[in-house]
Amino acid sequence: MVPEVLAGLSDPIIMGILLGGLYILIALGLSLVFGVMRLINVAHGDLVILGTYFAFFGMTGEILGHRLTIFGIDPILSLVIGIPLLFAIGFAIQKFLMSRAVQISMEAPLIIAFGISLIIQNICQRLWTPYSRGLTTSYALKSFSVGVFHIPLVYLLDFICALIVMVILREFLRRTYLGKAINAASQDRRAAQLMGINTDRVYAFAFAIAMATAAIAGVFLGLTFPFTPTSGVSFLIIAFGVIIIGGLGSVLGTFLGGLILGLAQTLGGHVLNELGLPGAATGQYLFLYVMVLVVLGVRPQGIFGR
Amino acid sequence: MGDITHRLRGGLIPLAAVIGVLAVLPIAGAPRSWLLYLLLFFIYLSMANMWNLLCGYSGLISLCQPAFIGLAGYTLVIGTWWGLPIHLGMIIGAIVAAAFALLISIPVFRLRGIYFAIGTLVVPEALKYAFLIWRPVGGTIHGGGAGYVLKGAAGFSTAEVYWLALGIALASAFCMRVILRSKLGLGLASIRDNDRTAASSGINVFKLKLYSFVIGAFVTGIAGTIFYIYQQYIEPTSAFSVRWTMILILATVIGGMSTEGGPVFGAVIVVFLHFLLARYAGINLIIQGTLLIIMMLLVPEGIMGFIRKTRPYRSLLELATSR
Repeated sequence: MVPEVLAGLSDPIIMGILLGGLYILIALGLSLVFGVMRLINVAHGDLVILGTYFAFFGMTGEILGHRLTIFGIDPILSLVIGIPLLFAIGFAIQKFLMSRAVQISMEAPLIIAFGISLIIQNICQRLWTPYSRGLTTSYALKSFSVGVFHIPLVYLLDFICALIVMVILREFLRRTYLGKAINAASQDRRAAQLMGINTDRVYAFAFAIAMATAAIAGVFLGLTFPFTPTSGVSFLIIAFGVIIIGGLGSVLGTFLGGLILGLAQTLGGHVLNELGLPGAATGQYLFLYVMVLVVLGVRPQGIFGR
Repeated sequence: MGDITHRLRGGLIPLAAVIGVLAVLPIAGAPRSWLLYLLLFFIYLSMANMWNLLCGYSGLISLCQPAFIGLAGYTLVIGTWWGLPIHLGMIIGAIVAAAFALLISIPVFRLRGIYFAIGTLVVPEALKYAFLIWRPVGGTIHGGGAGYVLKGAAGFSTAEVYWLALGIALASAFCMRVILRSKLGLGLASIRDNDRTAASSGINVFKLKLYSFVIGAFVTGIAGTIFYIYQQYIEPTSAFSVRWTMILILATVIGGMSTEGGPVFGAVIVVFLHFLLARYAGINLIIQGTLLIIMMLLVPEGIMGFIRKTRPYRSLLELATSR
């Protein structure tokens, strides 16, 4: 009896851990922007979705109801253009909007990010219709078995990519000049300025790098889940949950936060399925959000927060 | 109390005249479309007033107002399926919203500033999924929860809904006046400006914030139920939608946050945009988002704040105070 239950649980557990990788990937950019500039980018989810739609465009060539047949680029390959594109958008947002907003008031950046989020949603809706889409590549539905585990290839890719991006980001922040400057500006802006760091520029680069990770997250999100122009809000909340559960500014925390939310979702869905309740597909998200609220209620500074 | 009533009296006669005109409009045979514009204006105004109370006066950037609107709306609509009269449903809906505000205050009031904003953003999203699965009455339509039609709404004429909305708009404005001129308002303002100093001056920060949060939820809830009496249909995705939050922020920011008259101007513009942009439905979010950004960057104090800064207003003020 017991092994049977465990065998039933093995799939949701491995799926949850791998799914956590995707959530970490989405949360990295949000966490970077928050850590450096102390601002919550409410448009983060929508910028991720913009990245997804860009890959969708590259793959299907569909835009404004037309289908350009010259396209057919693999979503992961399309990142070669997708990353610089979102990098530029991020740079512009920080340089022209956010740098001014932070001087106005505390809620100004939040409201401006909200405005950006609406604009992006509307643009995606105009260009690619409000219908649910997916990046259905040849490998999107493939899966393989290792022992008792049954692993979809895309989930594994999510996890591996999250690890790679995390390591690159960490090394970048530690070893390069720009990375060190970002670190310095986040610790003490005035002191950094006195040391000859152009903090406005550094902030713009930090935002741009965050958006580059959003582009990567967007592609893997599209490979894993179907998406609509308004999916951004749900993923923003998940990303926020990841960094808040882990505790802000802690890399290990972000990692574990992602795993916890991934597991909460898949195990929640599994329980609903076992109980035979309807709506397991939507119900698993409910588990995720309740998890975020519970953690906030018990430990507002996060499980690993200082 | 006498002090409050004295301070409430300013400019009462022109205001009473405007309210009188608004109240007789349905009887005077105003076109139905006018009534609908005004109806929407009243509903947005009362919700924006409450958001202004939370964000502009208490420093609570609450993004969970759709939760109160949706919960109150659902209580009303489902209540009618159980044979509850609509007027009673409105009150019960608002009480449910207020009780829910009390409940979620346990986790979210441990957060501050921007954390509070995102913490509250989770709430309507969670409720949306809850209502997508949960179907309290009626048979299951495919996939669990779905929309409900308001039963027994046929007895309501447009004029009646209009008066209800006018009533709640006036009540919310009056509520703001009383709160801002009472000790509660003073305490809230001091919390917004510096909560540590306020706490050390003997103000119970938690209690005061909670009061304004619950009052905000109650009034927003009533306004929400009136909206659903007008719309006669409710479904989770639009009831708990971020659009509501957007409307409230837009109205408050355009009009002028932390000013009493702000939401009035803001709500007028939002309703105006709503109908003006109906023709450009495809791009109206782009326009609204751009407007929000431009307003925030160029005139962060809003219309009301801008008027206050201009010379005619100041000279008028000088005239009024020199007596």
